[in-house]
Amino acid sequence: MSELLRARDLTKTFRSNTALNGLNLSVNEKEIVCLLGANGAGKTTTINLFLGFLEPTSGAALVDGTEVTADLKQARSKLGYVPEQVSLYPALTGLENLDYFVRLGGGHPDESHLRGLLDQVGLDQIAADQKVGAYSKGMRQKIGLAIALAKGARALLLDEPLSGLDPSAANEFCRLLRRLADDGAAVLMATHDLFRARELADRIGIMKSGTLVEVLSPESLDQAALEQIYLNHMHDDETIGEAR
Amino acid sequence: MSGLIREIRFLASDRAALLWLGIALLVACVSISLGLREVATQRAELNALIEIDRAEREMLDMLYQDWGDVAYYTFHLTWDSPSDFAFAALGQRDTSPWKHQIRALALEGQIYETDAENPDFALVGRFDFAFAANLLAPLLLILLLHDLRSAERTAGRYELLSATAASRGSPWFARAALRVGALALCLIGPLWVGGLLGGAGASTLVQASLVVVLHIAFWWGVCALVDHFGWSSPVNLTALVGAWLALAVIVPAAIKASVESIVPLQDGGEILLTQREAVNDAWDLPKAATMEPFIERHPEWADYTEVSQPFEWKWYYAFQQVGDQTVEPQSQAYRDGRIGRDRLSGSLAWLSPPALAERAMQALADTNVAATLTYEQRVRAFHKALREYYYPRLFRGEPVSTVSIEQRPQFRGKES
Repeated sequence: MSELLRARDLTKTFRSNTALNGLNLSVNEKEIVCLLGANGAGKTTTINLFLGFLEPTSGAALVDGTEVTADLKQARSKLGYVPEQVSLYPALTGLENLDYFVRLGGGHPDESHLRGLLDQVGLDQIAADQKVGAYSKGMRQKIGLAIALAKGARALLLDEPLSGLDPSAANEFCRLLRRLADDGAAVLMATHDLFRARELADRIGIMKSGTLVEVLSPESLDQAALEQIYLNHMHDDETIGEAR
Repeated sequence: MSGLIREIRFLASDRAALLWLGIALLVACVSISLGLREVATQRAELNALIEIDRAEREMLDMLYQDWGDVAYYTFHLTWDSPSDFAFAALGQRDTSPWKHQIRALALEGQIYETDAENPDFALVGRFDFAFAANLLAPLLLILLLHDLRSAERTAGRYELLSATAASRGSPWFARAALRVGALALCLIGPLWVGGLLGGAGASTLVQASLVVVLHIAFWWGVCALVDHFGWSSPVNLTALVGAWLALAVIVPAAIKASVESIVPLQDGGEILLTQREAVNDAWDLPKAATMEPFIERHPEWADYTEVSQPFEWKWYYAFQQVGDQTVEPQSQAYRDGRIGRDRLSGSLAWLSPPALAERAMQALADTNVAATLTYEQRVRAFHKALREYYYPRLFRGEPVSTVSIEQRPQFRGKES
């Protein structure tokens, strides 16, 4: 399986604060890797480095072999991105928003193709013609995913995409991601949600204070292990104290 | 839905942008309307004065039988008609005279007189198109562009837009270009309508449009530079308004102060006073004290300098000319100083694009310092022709005749 995302000794410091410390990680095609960690653990920094929003202090982020800092355009052309909040143009319909973002990416889609994409992510045709201002978060996340699909992105970066989704919408979204991965995509997803990560991911990276402390397989995560991760890595010290 | 139509839709749904564009259209229309009205008023005033001037001279020519009286009582209107593009940039026409009534007396006592209704108000300047396009338009452009990216950041779309865009400039360049183009259209559209109504030539309008476009392009560059830092909308706005304040207000004020300090200039009023004193003193001096310097300038009348009566017109006009001769160095220095100040201001204006654009507009409208000095030179040339006409008649004591009066020089307005 080819390696679509690779972090090689990837480090990012902001003045004296090390946001990411020598990350080495790869995501292959047909694979979903979830990054778990508390706020400030370095999950979003990792995604931003792959997207070229940040320049690494040292090391490299590679997308399908292309170093992001060397050829950002080429790297981005292979990336799809779904942020925590997919903010769209509320005065446009879902279809129009999709059309806009696809054209922004250099595509020239026809309407039937766009409707097909929306259908693929589970957005019905009636909703597609409604203005996005009236959309739920889950519907907007689907549009975000459709935008990534329309680009023909081989690697997907998702930053807390499940945050704020109701359980049903989150389940549906996870099923969609699994299907995309099975079709060949490499998915790197930052999340707080241990249980969803265990259900969805092929590998789980545990991050703490900018460092990848463990990479686990979901099968190895029984209830006790989950609790341990939760107590050790998913809360700051004060919260852990309260939990104990 | 094409990219352009989509961006137009975004623009059309941006109420703030529509407000700024509406204001741009309004100020352009109002300034052009005021400019056209001012030019029409000046032309109507000149037409009326030209008619009055002609009628008065016809009447006076019948009254006097002595060339001294004719020369003394006859006024000659000189004028500088506004150009067909003056409506857009009234420039020096606020503060410098564009009409004079000239007699064959000492010129220096006449040429610095001005009939500006209130010089203090005039110094403030007019609300003309040049003001709207060069001072207000940059501010409106800043308001249109300062939050192009930062508003998307606030709305949470920036990262998705950046990650999705095929190129780094997309969609910002198209979005900014549309706003810049719309602003330029709001300014240039009314300018062309005004130009066509005012009779301005297409070449002038094209050049003026180019000035507007280049000036706006400069401010677009400033906005893009500030945008590059990725600050928030309020910080962008503060930085850009600061840049506008510096380039449109502080730098021009500093240029003015520097130019006045580097090129000191005598007051025109002082020249007038010195000349008047020289003329008044002549009444008490021996006649020879007047005639000698006069003959130095006009040796052709050396045989006619004898003044036997206590008052003779030829002596009177001779000391008028000697009064002018007395202040000739100051007058020349004053003109040279104004030219020097104008040149230096022109060079330093490169430090302030609004000032540079203003100067370009005034040059196109023929309302700049050069146009004022050209008019002044035309008045001097006409006055010289008047003297050359009257002197033979005064010194030789020729009788007044209709045929001779018909040969008197007539001031002609410049071709527009």
